[in-house]
Amino acid sequence: MAANFWTSSHYKQLLDPEEVDVVQPLDKDKGMTLEDFKLIKMNMANYIWKLAQNVKVRQRVVATAVTYMRRVYTRKSMSEYDPRLVAPTCLYLAAKAEESTVQARLLVFYIKKLYSDEKYRYEIKDILEMEMKILEALNYYLVVFHPYRSLSQLLQDAGINDTSMIQLSWGLVNDTYKMDLILIHPPHLIALACIYIASVYREKDITAWFEELRVDMNVVKNISMEILDFYESHRLITDERINIAFSKLALKP
Amino acid sequence: MGDGNATTNNRSVSNSNNNEKPEWLQQYNLIGKIGEGTYGLVFLAKTKSPANRGKSIAIKKFKQSKDGDGVSPTAIREIMLLREISHENVVKLVNVHINHADMSLYLAFDYAEHDLYEIIRHHRDKGSHCINQYTVKSLLWQLLNGLNYLHSNWIIHRDLKPSNILVMGEGDEHGVVKIADFGLARIYQAPLKPLSDNGVVVTIWYRAPELLLGAKHYTSAVDMWAVGCIFAELLTLKPLFQGAEAKSTPNPFQLDQLDKIFKVLGHPTLEKWPTLANLPHWQSDLQHIQGHKYENTGLHNVVHLSPKSAPYDLLSKMLEYDPRKRITAAQALEHEYFRIEPLPGRNALVPSQPGEKVINYPTRPVDTNTDFEGTTSLQPPQPVSSGNAVSGGMPGGHGVANRSASRPMQIGMPRMQPQVMATYNMAQAGMGGAMNPAGIPMPRGVAAQPHQQQHLRRKDPPGMGSGYPPQQKSRRQ
Repeated sequence: MAANFWTSSHYKQLLDPEEVDVVQPLDKDKGMTLEDFKLIKMNMANYIWKLAQNVKVRQRVVATAVTYMRRVYTRKSMSEYDPRLVAPTCLYLAAKAEESTVQARLLVFYIKKLYSDEKYRYEIKDILEMEMKILEALNYYLVVFHPYRSLSQLLQDAGINDTSMIQLSWGLVNDTYKMDLILIHPPHLIALACIYIASVYREKDITAWFEELRVDMNVVKNISMEILDFYESHRLITDERINIAFSKLALKP
Repeated sequence: MGDGNATTNNRSVSNSNNNEKPEWLQQYNLIGKIGEGTYGLVFLAKTKSPANRGKSIAIKKFKQSKDGDGVSPTAIREIMLLREISHENVVKLVNVHINHADMSLYLAFDYAEHDLYEIIRHHRDKGSHCINQYTVKSLLWQLLNGLNYLHSNWIIHRDLKPSNILVMGEGDEHGVVKIADFGLARIYQAPLKPLSDNGVVVTIWYRAPELLLGAKHYTSAVDMWAVGCIFAELLTLKPLFQGAEAKSTPNPFQLDQLDKIFKVLGHPTLEKWPTLANLPHWQSDLQHIQGHKYENTGLHNVVHLSPKSAPYDLLSKMLEYDPRKRITAAQALEHEYFRIEPLPGRNALVPSQPGEKVINYPTRPVDTNTDFEGTTSLQPPQPVSSGNAVSGGMPGGHGVANRSASRPMQIGMPRMQPQVMATYNMAQAGMGGAMNPAGIPMPRGVAAQPHQQQHLRRKDPPGMGSGYPPQQKSRRQ
């Protein structure tokens, strides 16, 4: 239930990577590749984060919003659900779900401020309509668990209190929302992977602590590899590359 | 939820004129309106599908919020929680629908014919007979059982009151208690803001003393206080602490309510409740609070129980001033009261003794002249089907409010805020609903308790966080 991950809808809805990496037929027809699809989602995660900074909501709300957005695109095409409307609307809905409601007019104001491109122009009415469509697309499952809570508990449990380790692992967790990991893995495993990477990077040996955990370290290492691969392959992403992905979306089928 | 059938029919709806129901609504026969509140309306309907033909469903319709801010956060919170929880003693959300044409949202629940408000009222007005012991004990046990489930999942209900405790009418689940109305409920594990930041909670009569004294951080113990008040009300048929609500400011200091409590339980003391000193109103309003001196009337006199009896012992533990010492739902279920005859059962409404008369509680009034749009027809009102047609009245509970228009007045509580009152009058075409009598902004707080949810401790069985809910206790029959 609501506070127990193992009985939650979040746990029951976890997907295999093959199920997440599916470009919807409508988008595929326009020539959108899996790479394009992932890039747009990443770009929209950034968009949500930027908006959130302006309207001043916490990281947790951002994380929930990004999760909603990613869940939507496991079921709906970008052709029908424009990412540039879905992203702010997910933030709008997540803010309500996380009890820090943000007014739609405030979002619209900051959207205009952030983007002059009229493809981003949406009005309050559009957000309100999309809110309902997103509720449906999410099948009304709104509770999302995040790695942050586990992360603090785990760091504490491992006796890690040096700031650089803590900051690095938090930053890594933030970056995991640029990927679809939250749809695939239980959040505490994502947190562990981030701690693992941080410990290797900072040359901090906490192997003994890991071994005591009743966790499948292979899974943790696989998640870590995915995160490292992501950093590796996304060092050189340019705005131009993102624009190419979006331009395919604009094509008439 | 819909599970496939929640598809909305944008096209069909927008093309249709107003007399036509959205396609998904056509799977139900609308019987009529059974309640309303600030959020919208509640309807009684029956399913048409062959599998469940005739099954009664309560449909709560949320209006688009007036401030132009989409789906109301209350609706979001209620859906969010109800989508995750499942327990025999918690109301079951069977479907959610969205009508894109008018941006309204519908929640469909299993329908419950009765609620504790109506059951208590029936005994008070009609029979003037007490509710029999077996029924009181079974209702209380099931209420605690549902609450234990919620609390072990870190959900505080925050608005428990008799009208939110539903009881199923005839059928498979006859006499089974269902906790309803989660519009104010919340998960308290990871609050983003102190509860006190966003308005209200809890009908004043059932409000725990720590809230009345301005506590900012509160816990599941507030629900247990409310259960204590409800327990006493089941025994005496009268609200235990009937304070008059002060409404001048958003978070007024409810002195009268506190006074009613002190009159029965005596003043709290720092010895018995050490953290009392930290509560805002205890410090700032000390003179008012201690203005009246009461002889401790004695709770046992009010509820007519021997101070040595098991029910009295349980009740007094629920009405413990210090929230940290107050009995929890899990502890209450283990109390001796539930181990002595008569033992609690699943059907709280069957007669306890063979040969005893079955009480026919009235069914919920249904306004058959109102359609799903909330439009009341101009035809002369037909007699409200008083019974069998609607053998599943809708609990006033599903909504905040529901229930007969006269209710708040009748109990002598002028408690509606002016603008709420306006809506209420306007909307009460049919049967009206008692506005959420608690609809007054109130402080809320949050349990600051740390706990682990996905935390993997070494000792845990693999794959289990320590937050795994305790086994539900098997029900005693």
